[in-house]
Amino acid sequence: MVKVIEQNLLTGETTEREQTAAEKTQTAKDKTEAEAQGEAQIAKLAARQAVLDKLGLTADEAAALLG
Amino acid sequence: MAIQTFTAAQVLTAAQMNALQANDYNQTVSTKTASYTLVAADKGTRVVMNSASATTITVNTSLFSAGDTLFLQNISTGVCTVTAGTATVSTAGSLAIPQNGSGILYFTSAGVSIFYPSAGAATANALTLVTATSTANTGGTVTSSGGRVTVAGSSSVSLNGVFTSTYHNYLVLLDTIESAASGPNQFNLRLRAAGSDTTSSTYYAGQIYGTYAGATGGSANNGVAQFPLLTLTNAKQQMAKIEVFSPQAATITTIDSLGVAFDAQSNYAGYQSGATQYDGFTLFMGASNFSGNITVYAYQKS
Repeated sequence: MVKVIEQNLLTGETTEREQTAAEKTQTAKDKTEAEAQGEAQIAKLAARQAVLDKLGLTADEAAALLG
Repeated sequence: MAIQTFTAAQVLTAAQMNALQANDYNQTVSTKTASYTLVAADKGTRVVMNSASATTITVNTSLFSAGDTLFLQNISTGVCTVTAGTATVSTAGSLAIPQNGSGILYFTSAGVSIFYPSAGAATANALTLVTATSTANTGGTVTSSGGRVTVAGSSSVSLNGVFTSTYHNYLVLLDTIESAASGPNQFNLRLRAAGSDTTSSTYYAGQIYGTYAGATGGSANNGVAQFPLLTLTNAKQQMAKIEVFSPQAATITTIDSLGVAFDAQSNYAGYQSGATQYDGFTLFMGASNFSGNITVYAYQKS
C-alpha cells in the first residue's frame, strides 16, 4: 500500500494518506513504462555487443572505425 | 511601547515620555517565531520574524488608519511573505521578505496598504528564492529548510505553490541527486495544478546528449506524459538546472534543462501544450527512488 505524505510548509502540519485510485493507476503505468524502457536499453546494448563480437572488435575499435 | 492615547488633563509622566521617545530612537520590537496576523497595537513598531520555516504576515482591514506605518523585518532563513488578509497590500517589488530583509508597510486607508521592500533591490536579472507552500511525497522522507527541499529515498516528490502570478519565469536547481537503483534510470518532471499532475500525452521535447566516453546522440518526445529530463545512476553529484517559462500563464509552458549525470551530460528543451495555469511540479522515477535537493528561484519580472 503506497502512502502519500503531505506537508504544509506554512503551518508545519503533516498528513498521510493512501494514493487515490487515479494516482495508483498512474504509478503502475509509470513503473511499467520505466521497466520496459530499462529492458529495451539492456537489449540495445546486448545487440550492439553481439555485433561487435561477430566482427571481433572492441568498443574502442568500433568507435575509431566510425570516426 | 505601543502608541498611547492621552486624554485632556491627564498627566504625562516622565516614564511615558521616555518610553514614547525611546520608540522614536530605538523602535519597539516584537519578535514572532511563526506566521503572524498584525494587530492594532503593532502600529509604529517593528515586527521581527524569526523562523527557519516559511511564514506569513497577514494584513487585515480596520486595524490601522491612513498614514500608519509598521516596520517588518526577517532575521531567519524562512522567507516571510506579506499577505493580504481582508486588507489589500500592493507593492512595486516583492512581498517576500528574505533573511536579513525588511520593508515598510504603509496604510493609505483602513483597508489599503502599500509594502515598500527595502531589501534586495530588484534588478533585471535578480533571482528570488521561492518557498513551496506544501510538498507531497511517495516513499522516503522530505524535509524543507529555508526554501531548500531535501529528498531521501522517494519515488515521487511534488512541490506546490511555487509558481504564482508574482513572477513569469523560474529556475529549478536539483543538486546532489542520485537514484537508489544503479540504473541508468529515467528522471521525470510533470507540471502540476491544484495538487494534481498533468499526465496527458501533451509533453513535447527533444534531448541531445554526450557521454564522457565520446558518444553523442539524441532522443525525441513527441507527445508523452512527462518531461524525461535525464537519466540518473546511483552515483553522487549529479545535478540538473531547469528553467520553467510562464507556468502561470494560460498558454503553453516551456522548459529547458541542463543535466549532468555520472557518465554524460544532456540538454533538454520542450513544452507542455495545455493552457493550464500551473502552480507546482512533480519529480519522479518510474522504477526507482531518488535522493537530492531541490531549490526554486523566480526571475524578477523586470
